[in-house]
Amino acid sequence: MANGWSVIIGLVIIIGMSVAAWVFSPKGENQVLWRSSLILAFVSCYLMWAITFLAQLNPLIEPRRSDIREEFIHH
Amino acid sequence: MAPTKDTPFRSAEMSMVQLYISNEIGREVVNALGELGLVQFRDLNSELSAFQRAFTQDIRRLDNVERQLRYFHAQMEKAGIPLRKLDLDVETLAAPTTTEIDELAERSQSLEQRVSSLNESYETLKKREVELTEWRWVLREAGGFFDRAHGSVEEIRASIDNDDAPLLQDVEQHNGAADVERSFSGMNIGFVAGVIARDRVAAFERILWRTLRGNLYMNQAEIPEPLIDPSTNESVQKNVFVIFAHGKEILAKIRKISESMGAEVYNVDENSDLRRDQVHEVNARLDDVQNVLRNTQQTLEAELTQISRSLAAWVVLVGKEKAVYNTLNLFSYDRARRTLIAEGWCPTNDLALIRSTLQDVTNRAGLSVPSIVHEIRTNKKPPTYLKTNKFTEAFQTIVNAYGTATYQEVNPAIPVIVTFPFLFAVMFGDFGHAVIMLSAALAMIYWEKPLKKVTFELFAMVYYGRYIALVMALFSIYTGLIYNDVFSKSMTLFESQWEWDVPDGWKEGQTVVAKLNTRGYRYPFGLDWRWHGTENDLLFSNSYKMKMSIILGWAHMTYSLCFSYINARHFKKPIDIWGNFVPGMIFFQSIFGYLVVCIIYKWTVDWPGIGKPAPGLLNMLIYMFLQPGTLDGGMELYPHQAGIQEFLLLLAVVQVPILLFLKPFYLRWEHNRARAKGYRGIGERSRVSALDDDDDDQGHGVNGRHSVESEGEGVAMIAQGVDHEDEEHEEFEFSEVMIHQVIHTIEFCLNCVSHTASYLRLWALSLAHQQLSAVLWSMTMGPALKPMLNMGNNGNSFGGTIIDALILVVVFAAFFSLSCIILIIMEGVSAMLHSLRLAWVESFSKFAEFGGWPFVPFSFGTLLEENEELSEYLG
Repeated sequence: MANGWSVIIGLVIIIGMSVAAWVFSPKGENQVLWRSSLILAFVSCYLMWAITFLAQLNPLIEPRRSDIREEFIHH
Repeated sequence: MAPTKDTPFRSAEMSMVQLYISNEIGREVVNALGELGLVQFRDLNSELSAFQRAFTQDIRRLDNVERQLRYFHAQMEKAGIPLRKLDLDVETLAAPTTTEIDELAERSQSLEQRVSSLNESYETLKKREVELTEWRWVLREAGGFFDRAHGSVEEIRASIDNDDAPLLQDVEQHNGAADVERSFSGMNIGFVAGVIARDRVAAFERILWRTLRGNLYMNQAEIPEPLIDPSTNESVQKNVFVIFAHGKEILAKIRKISESMGAEVYNVDENSDLRRDQVHEVNARLDDVQNVLRNTQQTLEAELTQISRSLAAWVVLVGKEKAVYNTLNLFSYDRARRTLIAEGWCPTNDLALIRSTLQDVTNRAGLSVPSIVHEIRTNKKPPTYLKTNKFTEAFQTIVNAYGTATYQEVNPAIPVIVTFPFLFAVMFGDFGHAVIMLSAALAMIYWEKPLKKVTFELFAMVYYGRYIALVMALFSIYTGLIYNDVFSKSMTLFESQWEWDVPDGWKEGQTVVAKLNTRGYRYPFGLDWRWHGTENDLLFSNSYKMKMSIILGWAHMTYSLCFSYINARHFKKPIDIWGNFVPGMIFFQSIFGYLVVCIIYKWTVDWPGIGKPAPGLLNMLIYMFLQPGTLDGGMELYPHQAGIQEFLLLLAVVQVPILLFLKPFYLRWEHNRARAKGYRGIGERSRVSALDDDDDDQGHGVNGRHSVESEGEGVAMIAQGVDHEDEEHEEFEFSEVMIHQVIHTIEFCLNCVSHTASYLRLWALSLAHQQLSAVLWSMTMGPALKPMLNMGNNGNSFGGTIIDALILVVVFAAFFSLSCIILIIMEGVSAMLHSLRLAWVESFSKFAEFGGWPFVPFSFGTLLEENEELSEYLG
């Protein structure tokens, strides 16, 4: 379901949203404000999600704990 | 140049205009322009002192009116009459005519006289009342003495006759009633009665004792109620005293001493019948005085109440009128044509509006002489005018707190609107805290109007930044979801990518290690909750957050650097592109861009899968500089790594001389070429190109004034004489340009390193926030919830007792308030300051010049907003 391709798919979605933001920003003197803010916000959020996703894509260490109770071990 | 629409992207295009206004409507025009608030007037009379200016008389007169109004306000406060505040959002004040202002001045003059005369008579009456009260007390208390003293005339006489007799003898020894009516006068004893402040009694006694060498008999009593001193309006504790002494001279001396000590001496008759009459008389007069006093006070209050209804409006009117005359003082006056000439900056796009406003005023006045708006061209640097709306206002303020952007450069507030709250959220990321913050911000926005009136400073500050808080909270919700933190706990929104690898015969307390699922499924959004509470979660999250900080920092700086390209294009300075932007960008990307690529590449490779050890990126970067061409321990991240790194390093190093020399040498070449062709620098002569006459011999301001009368074209020259002082055209000087560029280069290269490191604060603060909230949970809610967790074990539906539940309520209150105070407010402020620094230093230094000066138009709106004296009159 969610594998390495997600980053690319996410990128495509973000580009689509950015284009939409560019096109549908309300006209007027604040148009540039809408465009820049929306696109910047999309890109920032995508960047953070992608970094988090990539960091867990091929993890080098595994979670380890010794205080887990029996009833949670199979969850 | 066709005027383009003003956007918040860069400051509005400005024009220098000259206004020619007929003298008669000067005041009305300035009034109208003040309502418009779009023109910043220049001082055309800077050589004149404040007293020499044309409208100083009017301002003085208004100052006087203002003083009178303040006097009314002070009187109202004294009388406790509330001021009816003026709400400018609801009421608007029409511009007053001159006669209205005159009427107001006259009215306030007569009102002042009336109020002050009322006040005066009130004070006199009050004084009279106090005197009568004191007298009454003296009569009462002294009467008491006399009644007692008459009983002991004999002893007193004995004491006078016989030096050995004690001053006071026991009361039991007093004589029979027959002696009572015997008068003191027969003994040649006189007395002085009066009132003195209690704290002076001791000194008074001592002085009397010393000057009269003990030849007196003093008696005193405290007045139980405090008396009001009418001059200072303070209450004073006083004593009544009666002094008996021997001989007229001594009595006169006592009177004098009493007066010099501030005591009041009152006439008391020793005969008890007369005294009774006196008491009656005093009481009657006191009643009268009190009646009159009450009437006076009522009249005064009625008068003040009347004033209080319109005082705020008057204050505002007078304040505006004063501002108008102050502005008119900046104009220069052409006697020959009876015209006022004003000069100032205004947004080019609003010229039409200004023209039509002027036209309107002229038409209304019915003047045949038109008012003229004349745009002049100048090489002065125009002011920076950045339009804001209520959303961008606060963002613009935090940018302006750093400096004023250069005219027409990219407004640094544009990226700040997103980057500032986003970087804040990276440090603040916690879903729970963000939701609380969001509700606070939404509440402030929903009750925007009523909350605007709150004057409590700390709240007003938060209120001012409510839209920043809103965006910060929204981003924090997102980052909280990414970090998967809700009050330091995790949410299990999706299935984990990890499964516990339970060994055979596992018992509770034994260490378990998770293993990845084999389906290739990865946690789709945010951090996997399986990391929560594990022993090595910090190991993982630190590595992740550190790398994220670097990547976000790189992205932020690259984005900021791109604005310097836009600026260079806008100002048509290609050399800034080729000499600064391009080499700078290559330098930055070949080192830190490469680092970011490596970070991402390393994440995409399944190192255990291909059976290779994962190389450390930190060491890789260090080796790239220290031993180019070799790798740390020979661990290769990708093929041909050493060569590529060598190339990138070389590329970066080559940029340094380009950065250093290209721009200064190009500028020198350009300058020399222009000189060779016989051009002079633009603006080396003639500052105002509208005037083509040679103005060098015409000289400065005062001379320019003569020329106005003699020649027609000279009008604009008045304005011009002033120009000499504040505008110096820069000569091209190579050494200066070179030094500037060397500083820029060194700064840029060092900053690339230090600023990238600076972004690690994102990691540090988000780690601190997360750990702090984890500690708070484990110290409050964790132990309190423990008893509830037994439920599974003993089969009860509810694990704890009632007491446990009550404890939980208390502990939750503590947890919640501590969360709000420490984790939201304190941590929020700290994250905000760090984010602010990242915007101001790390981002702005890449593109913004901050060499502008702010546009401060003459506007009644800002006048009323910013004047603190006026603010207490406005609701």
